[in-house]
Amino acid sequence: MHFGGIYEDEIVGKAYDRALMFRFARYLRPYRWQVIGTLCLLPLTTAAKLAQPWLIKLAIDNHIVTGNLAGLPAMAAWFLLLILADSLVSFLQVWLLQYLGQRVMQDIRLELFSHVQRLSTSFFDRTPTGSLVTRLTSDVEVLGEMFAAGIITVVGDVMLLAGIVGVMVWMNLRLSLVTFTVLPFLIWVAFAFRRRMRTAFRQVRARLSNLNTFLAESIGGMAVVQLFNRQAAEQNEFRRLNAEYRDANLPVITWDAALYAAVEALSSIAVGLLVWYGGGEIVRGALTFGALVAFIQYIEKFFAPIRDLSAKYSVMQGAMAALERLFNLLDTSELLPEAPPATMTIPARPASVIEFNGVWFAYKEEEYVLKGVDLTLRRGETVALVGETGGGKTTVTRLLSRLYDVSRGSISLDGVDLRRIPLWELRRRIGVVLQEPYLFTGTIADNICLGDDTVRPRVREAAALVGADRFIDRLGSGYGEAVRERGNNFSAGERQLISFARAVAFDPEILVLDEATASVDTTSERLIQEGLKGLMAGRTTLVVAHRLSTIRDADRIAVIHRGEKVEEGRHEELIARQGLYYRLYQLQFKDN
Amino acid sequence: MYGGVISDLVRLYSYMRDDRRSYLTGAVCLLGTNACALLIPWLLKLAVESLQKPTTPHHSPAWYGGLIIAAAVLHGTIRIFSRTTLLHAARRIEYLIRDDLYARLLALDLPFFTKERTGDLMSRFANDLTNVRMLLGFGVLNIINTVVIYLAALALMIRISPLLTLCAILPFPAMILVVKRLSASMFRRSKRAQEELARLTSVVEENVSAAAVIKAYCREEAAIDTFAEASGRYMASNMRIAQLRGLMIPVMAATGALGTLIVLIYGGQQVTQRLITLGDFVAFNGYLTMLIWPTIVFGWILNLMQRGAASMSRLNEVLAAEATVTEAENPTTAADIRGEIQLTRLSFSYSVEPLLSDLTLTIPAGSRLGIVGPIGAGKSTLVRLLARLYPVADGMILIDGIDINRLALRQLRELVGFVPQESFLFSRSLRANIAFGRDDADDSAVEAAARLASLDGDVARFPDGYATLVGERGITLSGGQKQRAAIARALLKDPAILILDDPLSAVDARTEEEILRSLAGYYGQRTVIIVSHRLSALRECDRIVVLEEGKIVEQGNHERLLALDGRYAAIHREQQLRQEIEGY
Repeated sequence: MHFGGIYEDEIVGKAYDRALMFRFARYLRPYRWQVIGTLCLLPLTTAAKLAQPWLIKLAIDNHIVTGNLAGLPAMAAWFLLLILADSLVSFLQVWLLQYLGQRVMQDIRLELFSHVQRLSTSFFDRTPTGSLVTRLTSDVEVLGEMFAAGIITVVGDVMLLAGIVGVMVWMNLRLSLVTFTVLPFLIWVAFAFRRRMRTAFRQVRARLSNLNTFLAESIGGMAVVQLFNRQAAEQNEFRRLNAEYRDANLPVITWDAALYAAVEALSSIAVGLLVWYGGGEIVRGALTFGALVAFIQYIEKFFAPIRDLSAKYSVMQGAMAALERLFNLLDTSELLPEAPPATMTIPARPASVIEFNGVWFAYKEEEYVLKGVDLTLRRGETVALVGETGGGKTTVTRLLSRLYDVSRGSISLDGVDLRRIPLWELRRRIGVVLQEPYLFTGTIADNICLGDDTVRPRVREAAALVGADRFIDRLGSGYGEAVRERGNNFSAGERQLISFARAVAFDPEILVLDEATASVDTTSERLIQEGLKGLMAGRTTLVVAHRLSTIRDADRIAVIHRGEKVEEGRHEELIARQGLYYRLYQLQFKDN
Repeated sequence: MYGGVISDLVRLYSYMRDDRRSYLTGAVCLLGTNACALLIPWLLKLAVESLQKPTTPHHSPAWYGGLIIAAAVLHGTIRIFSRTTLLHAARRIEYLIRDDLYARLLALDLPFFTKERTGDLMSRFANDLTNVRMLLGFGVLNIINTVVIYLAALALMIRISPLLTLCAILPFPAMILVVKRLSASMFRRSKRAQEELARLTSVVEENVSAAAVIKAYCREEAAIDTFAEASGRYMASNMRIAQLRGLMIPVMAATGALGTLIVLIYGGQQVTQRLITLGDFVAFNGYLTMLIWPTIVFGWILNLMQRGAASMSRLNEVLAAEATVTEAENPTTAADIRGEIQLTRLSFSYSVEPLLSDLTLTIPAGSRLGIVGPIGAGKSTLVRLLARLYPVADGMILIDGIDINRLALRQLRELVGFVPQESFLFSRSLRANIAFGRDDADDSAVEAAARLASLDGDVARFPDGYATLVGERGITLSGGQKQRAAIARALLKDPAILILDDPLSAVDARTEEEILRSLAGYYGQRTVIIVSHRLSALRECDRIVVLEEGKIVEQGNHERLLALDGRYAAIHREQQLRQEIEGY
């Protein structure tokens, strides 16, 4: 039975798209000499391949048939030379082509990556990591295959085919014409094949995608399937999709086999025609034995490249689809708008006041997360943000570090709107500690200075300031200790201390801090509290608070509720007011 | 290790045996097609010989030409059959293995799916199955082909001239050796390239996931440098492969050409010495050409077999995976279950830390039990055990006095209507999702269930009503809508025991209360277990248990628990505060 799920009919692109290829050709420009070199080598290999049967003809006609063995070694020497030349040139050609391919892939990868790095945070919110990884790895990889098996080899094949036709016509026009009576059939077969293959391939991909979607969903929802005793029905549905996929593949196999067989048969039929007509010519003395043998060898060489047409076809089809996805990514332009350089201002260092003036913000259109927040931080002050989850606290911190731009209102440093401060200047002055400390693979030192060699000398000092030095010194390799993927060889507390040290190492004048909610053991808690003190000392700090010690020590507390600032003041004042803060305090902090 | 390879291939062989007719037909067709292919050079030989002696009455060139064309047509025709027969068989077996794999997945339990990552399972279905299919199709085809062509062509060549044959294939062992050595370094270099690719991938992953950190510290340039370095290393490793590839093709072509060269010199000599005819010479060259491809393919087949065996062993891991939740040997099917549940000294743990320890509890038939407690207290584990999503191994669960391990799994799951914490809907129509447990349910039943779950109002707003597609390719339901659809799905089953595992976390407290009130009418004689983080949802329960660290710390009805002034009362105060804040 059918569950009424309609699956997307995946669109399979063409094997050749002129617009995409034109755009792609631009990437070849820096390597035009290599391209020209490869193209120049093509006639050489073609000539070497064409000369071999010709030499055989000469050997048979001049030496073997006549019994004049004297010239045969010289002939053999020529033949050997040809083989060596052909091998050398082929090697150069394959190598150049792959070199070219690898270079172009490298350029595209770098362009893509640099492009992605420039995109705004909202792009990353929207785009799954996996799809970006696919773009940068497998999609680019498919382009490499195009170099290995595709477009330029096709040029070589075409040249060889033309050369063979030329030589055959030159050797014996009538015999060539007779032989090439098979060509119209070949062309017809190739076209029929292409037409069927296109629809067949499309069906195969669409059905494979259905099958995979179903399977992935099944694995995800297996508990539900079992709870509802639906195993048999699911198995039937899977079997149906599985059979559909299998059945879509069968015609592809048949057509591929037919093409393969037709090409082989046509090449043998051509040989048959040769013997038929050429035999008569030999009897009439119009053709030599050597020429007949050479003809047979030319025909074999003629049909060889046509045999793997289907492989080349699918490589090209894949490459076009990949190109389209890559160009789409390159055309994505979600950038933070930059003000014109002339209007850029750099406020005095350190700034004496940070102001939020009626800040509104929405991640999605018209769904405002912040609704007119006003907030002022004076130099050296610590302001704690408190409120329910989802109330907008973290958004406030993200706006200050300009990961996003405000929708309405403004944030300013000494009266200069953030949007008019060069981004690099702003980010240099604002240190950010995220709720989930993110560690990179590398060493601890790398993680603290983020690979910035101007910061590296301050690594130890920074670690000492937040108290991270104590645990780092105990590690076998100290600051050189390897950090594994996402820092999973360190505890949550240690990861936080490293991220504190990172912020301190960059010595920002303003600190934006999102305290982790995850509970840690009491020893770590004490370490983190001490670390926080070291971190915040002497800096203007905006902190999303989850710790009692943080709100107690804060100069001011702003209560953010449903996108608005509803209360502001010191801890004792707000407690005394018995309002929202009083309740939040009891709920979130009191038991800690 | 080889034992493993063999046992993996034995399993494959049993699939092939079931389709042995195809393989036999394919093999016979291959024999036929190769016979035709081998016939052509021989016909050429005869034609040349007859041309050389035009005086003796032989067949005309047209006769030989015609025979070659006939052989070619036959060769092509049989070729279509040999390829389609074998490759279709491979697809059919792939289908069967995939079906078996899926059947195995359906029989495996939650512990298995918690351990295995979806991506890894999917890759077994995709990549490993492809490798196995390649072995079954192209692999088998080429093995038969190679053997047939080698034996036949060599025999015919030896018939023409044993000595010439020996000379002509002289470069072949060298070629096999060179190809083998090249493949070995190719393997090493490919592995290296794979490692570099993995590194590149993790650099991308890391940078994309850490976009916020990189932006906050203005480290974009440094990130690009890191990426460029990794990308450059990957490129370099690929360049090293390119060098080998560049070598491979000329080496192969040159070896073939070398053979031709030997035939040219030595064979030419033999022709002039009249040891062989010119026809022999031509045919010999033809056979030599036929040998080149299978020789090249030889290394490829070895590789294919290795990969196929490795993949089959990965598939076998799934096929042989055992569920921990299994049907009892003689399962009981009880008629007329009322739904009384008894837990006796029930404990459960994944690893070392117990998730549940020593729970004893009786839930009378037709009563409502509420379960409350902090995150990680074991609430979900407990209700999952009731549905035997996890194995019940330590302690006992009895339903109407029957050990659930002895109860037929099918019946147990018919008895239990379960609404999991994370409502999982399938990419199908809303109707198909609600009627998931009851294929035979008519529209009115589906609608009634939706009404009970307070979903009817939402459905009325969808343009396609109950035919609306859900999920990626349809409309995206809100969290609350999904949860209500999952409730409707469980209600339609008409279970004796209804388990709601925090079923309305995505809606606000007031809506939750309304929905639960509408549900209360449905409960009737059913035993109902509700897990919730909101006490308001549990107020009407006959009994509420407070779980903490896998133990029952308090139990009783709402009033009694409040009077106790313990954990429950503390949670109650907290929630009142929360409500006050929400309403602020």
